[in-house]
Amino acid sequence: MQRLLATGAAIAALGAPAAAQDTADVVRTYADMAEAAYTDSLTAARTLDAAVDALLAAPSVGTLQDARAAWRAARIPYLQTEVFRFGNPIVDDWEGRVNSWPLDEGLIDYVDAGYGSATEENDFAALNVVANASFTLSGEDVDASEITPAFLQDVLHEADGVEANVATGYHAIEFLLWGQDLNGHGAGAGNRPWTDFSQGSDCTNGNCDRRAEYLDSATDLLVSDLEEIVTAWTADGAARARLLSDPEAGLSAMLTGMGSLSYGELAGERMRLGLMLNDPEEEQDCFSDNTHNSHYYDGFGIQNVYLGSYAGIDGRIVSGPALADLVAAADPALDAEMRLRLSDTMRALGRIKTTAEAGFAYDRMLERGNAGGEALVTAGVEGLIAQTATIERIVDALDLGQVTFEGSDSLDAPSAVFQ
Amino acid sequence: MRIAALLLAIALPVSAAAQSVDDAIDGALDRHILPGFATLADETEHLAAVAAEDCAPTSDMLRSAFGTAFDAWIRVSHLRFGPTETDNRTFALAFWPDSRGATPRALDGLIAAEDPAVEGPDAFADVSVAARGFYAMELLLYDPEMMDAASSDYGCALIRAMAADIARTAAAIDTDWRETHADLLRHAGQNDTYRSEAEALRTLYSAFTTGMEFTIDLRLGRPLGTFDRPRPGRAEAWRSGRSLRHVEIALDSLGELAQILALADDDIDTAAITQAFDTAKETAGRIDDPAFAGVATPSSRIRIEALQQRVIEARDVTAAQLAEALDLSAGFNSLDGD
Repeated sequence: MQRLLATGAAIAALGAPAAAQDTADVVRTYADMAEAAYTDSLTAARTLDAAVDALLAAPSVGTLQDARAAWRAARIPYLQTEVFRFGNPIVDDWEGRVNSWPLDEGLIDYVDAGYGSATEENDFAALNVVANASFTLSGEDVDASEITPAFLQDVLHEADGVEANVATGYHAIEFLLWGQDLNGHGAGAGNRPWTDFSQGSDCTNGNCDRRAEYLDSATDLLVSDLEEIVTAWTADGAARARLLSDPEAGLSAMLTGMGSLSYGELAGERMRLGLMLNDPEEEQDCFSDNTHNSHYYDGFGIQNVYLGSYAGIDGRIVSGPALADLVAAADPALDAEMRLRLSDTMRALGRIKTTAEAGFAYDRMLERGNAGGEALVTAGVEGLIAQTATIERIVDALDLGQVTFEGSDSLDAPSAVFQ
Repeated sequence: MRIAALLLAIALPVSAAAQSVDDAIDGALDRHILPGFATLADETEHLAAVAAEDCAPTSDMLRSAFGTAFDAWIRVSHLRFGPTETDNRTFALAFWPDSRGATPRALDGLIAAEDPAVEGPDAFADVSVAARGFYAMELLLYDPEMMDAASSDYGCALIRAMAADIARTAAAIDTDWRETHADLLRHAGQNDTYRSEAEALRTLYSAFTTGMEFTIDLRLGRPLGTFDRPRPGRAEAWRSGRSLRHVEIALDSLGELAQILALADDDIDTAAITQAFDTAKETAGRIDDPAFAGVATPSSRIRIEALQQRVIEARDVTAAQLAEALDLSAGFNSLDGD
């Protein structure tokens, strides 16, 4: 399922280890890109928040469409930050608040009869907090009369210790904007009516006031959560400081992020598993049918890190000394291999994206016996697996054996290093 | 569920004599991998043959063949690379954990529709992995509601298709290992899959670590949950009472692999590894709770927690031994103040 990224010692290094200064510069570029991409994510989330406010102030087809468009746009910079998640514990500890998936959406709001009820895994799979102002959690009565950001974050999110109880973040907001995608493998995304947010007699599906309150709180929370992570990457930020205090460890964190996202997360959990389950809900953006973009921009983020260059949402370019430069200095052939592998992956992910945009949605690609869809997704998976093998070789080639992460944890408890 | 892929293993550079590294790779192939997959192929073929004869979910003969085949899978379940990874065969044999209930949903779907996919092996190979493999079959043979549903003509056809599919996947893995992948691993450094012996050794070591993590975090960690919220219903194969057994088989098999990897260097303290695994196995042996139902009772929970702790120690002792003996690079020597 998950390949173990190897660090620690290298074989005889293929080239001289990069000079310390070069390494620090490369890590600095990485931190600059992270700061820029999270800043862009925040900017786009504020735009989304404003669009949601407009929707709630005057619900209509138009304002709902605008909010959906703002959500899609907000995903573009955010997905390019996913590569910063693994390898940076500050990000990884935080990430669950904004991008948890998959979710048992019945926790949040009404669902179709075919959704089912509480499961062996999750007593709250069909809680529907929008319709229920109070409920019992672990034997205690919970007051849900006000759906505030604090209630969502501290009480409802991961309620009962179940990860599928996703109450906050992009995917909770996505569900509120789109609703369930009831088209199965057929064409079409979720189709929540704008009247679900109407505050008058035309309110559909009940509790429109509480639904609106939920959406408002969830978008406010997304903004404040992103503000927090931007701070971690500023000049004095904790995430940046941690990397720069030991640039060699920072280099390893960069490669861990690239490899873990490529392999275990994207190729495994998000792409291959969905294909093998033939389940239209096993796509990351299952309500909005935006999964092709999720995969594409995730892959793009990995390529950004290697090449040391990020294009911001306002067109500015943030770039500097790159990991690619270090690899090229140590082993030019390996650098060429990595560039090729990244390009191959981006072409495969690009094919999924262009095909989906042309009308062949990602959930249809997952249908049992759909050979064309299977080939498209499989090519993406294979590209990601191939680039992971090259990333492992880079760990060796850069001789990251001198990394001393946290005491001797890397020696004694390999799994503890980045937890 | 999301499994955070945050494990960072220690690379194993080949500073040791080439001969001993060869011994480790050959040993892993000839004493661990190849016999393991050959047994899996045999036992699953037997399972398919038995199912063809007797498909009643309550059949002792069928359940016994299922148990033996499942044992054979658990013994090799950490070897998730190469032929096992090809065509997603691991998932096809073993889709677990199933945190969203995909397996019961997929089985209900097939049964309700009397889906014709059971009529041919190629069609069944296209079915959702949630409805294939050992864990789906366990549900059909041991879950009361599923057993009822499976006690029909369609249910019989489904069990037979499932058993045949398992056997087919296992045979494909076995064939690929024997005919192709064993040579690649054995001749690491002379092919593009394993460009050096270090890469081969690292792959094997990663398999070891993966198996240990799987046992610690999933086989034991899932039912343990937290003290306030234990989750006996999340134990692996609890319906058939195999949860503890799987931990024991995994410890046996992973201990074997650890000893083989230790051949790569003479300086490795194999006694320490043996002792750590023996302690873990003894701890498991003292637990009389096959399905880990006792996680919810403090007096029995403490024994299962202790087992998890012993498995963690076995992993850490082995990791430290293998890394220390094989890793002679500047990095870790500097840690030792060398």
